Amino acid sequence: MKPLNLIALLLFLGGAVWALTRSDRAVREIQGAYYKAMTPFLKSGSVIEAKARLFLEETKHSKELEAELETIKPEIGRLRLFESRCRELENENAQLRHALDFKKSTHFDVVAASVIRRNPTTWWQTVEIDAGETRGIGIERAVLSNDGLVGKIDRVDKERSTVLLLTDEKCQVAARVEGSPEVGILSGQRGASDGEPLLRLKYLSQNAAVRPGQRVFTTGRGGLFQANILLGTIESVEKGAFDSEALVRPSVNFADLGSVFVALPKES
Amino acid sequence: MIRYSFITILLLLASFVIQQFIPAFTGLSHSRILLVQLVFLCCAVTVGQPTMLLLAFLGGFLWDAQCALGPHGGSLEVYTHPVESMRFGYSILLFGGMGFLMQGIQPLFKQGKWQFSALLSGIAVFLYLISEYAMINFIRGEFVLTRATVYQMAHTAVLTMLFSPIVFWLLFSIAALCDHSINPEAGRKRRRAH
Repeated sequence: MKPLNLIALLLFLGGAVWALTRSDRAVREIQGAYYKAMTPFLKSGSVIEAKARLFLEETKHSKELEAELETIKPEIGRLRLFESRCRELENENAQLRHALDFKKSTHFDVVAASVIRRNPTTWWQTVEIDAGETRGIGIERAVLSNDGLVGKIDRVDKERSTVLLLTDEKCQVAARVEGSPEVGILSGQRGASDGEPLLRLKYLSQNAAVRPGQRVFTTGRGGLFQANILLGTIESVEKGAFDSEALVRPSVNFADLGSVFVALPKES
Repeated sequence: MIRYSFITILLLLASFVIQQFIPAFTGLSHSRILLVQLVFLCCAVTVGQPTMLLLAFLGGFLWDAQCALGPHGGSLEVYTHPVESMRFGYSILLFGGMGFLMQGIQPLFKQGKWQFSALLSGIAVFLYLISEYAMINFIRGEFVLTRATVYQMAHTAVLTMLFSPIVFWLLFSIAALCDHSINPEAGRKRRRAH
């Protein structure tokens, strides 16, 4: 081996060992610096993405529109445009009303946020939302939607946050089964990213009296999630030698996440 | 040579930005094009070992900075079996391994047979994913390998490989701009033929 190659290899291995021995805090600082550098690109990219989507939607029916435009007078076209704008505002109004109702029905303060994108990772289930530290969001806060628990905050920037979804194996939730004394730990399953992923409720008692169709809620224990947040519905139960496990269909449709709500601590 | 190496570093950094906007193909087992890995693999076969190792360090380090998850948190009395995270920096070693694999067929690439490198980039991505998945299983325990996971890895590798000719074309163009030959033997052959 050439001396230069050997030196390069030793430096590489030294660098790798240095990186592997970083503490959690140091890793968070590195991540903070990385996302700070990436923010301008992500912001401008989001704007371009939104414009492109709008453009595609507009051009989707261009042929039909062309035919229409040939026959319909410009005045009618103008009125249609006006009507579509009204519909847009109507939808927005309905969504905001829905969000307001949700906010009123919760027993804790929440911050509404929109899901910007899914993070480009293969094995971890994370999404990015457009709310961060400036709106009072901190790490490990519960993230909810109208249908139930979505996940928890994993990383926070000033204006953005990363949410670890409930479908990820690493997102564990202390859960209870409705109408039974059974409690366990609910989490996503490894390698279950395809289709509609099911969650696994572990550590139930060996003869757990649970059946398909029963709903699963958070217990509120463990210091991460508020109590009584809907998680899903039991699909099947697997009895083991020492304990039982249940497969749970999540109440949230993770393929169609739009608006979410981040729970804030009581004092805020 | 230095200019070319410098540009490959910039190209790798640019791929991190573009990767943010590449969506997963839900119809293809949620697979995605791993542009960062692809750019690194294609660059790795065109540069010397020191530059390849520098790219591997940079690529792995930034990839982990982008993807690493935080600790679980919560009370240990309730969450008695927290799921382990991958250690920050593991991707550096995976990138290094892939880089050495690509450099193994550098003699073929230098003869102008870039097609072999394109094919190997797909194999390397598949090996990268399978190694990463095996590490996750090793750290978290209980080996789980579903058909969906295998499809996801295979589709990701194939999709990524399909884009390798574009990256190689880009690298050839950059090399030409820098007056640097990344496949000198092929160039000599061409000159002799003329």
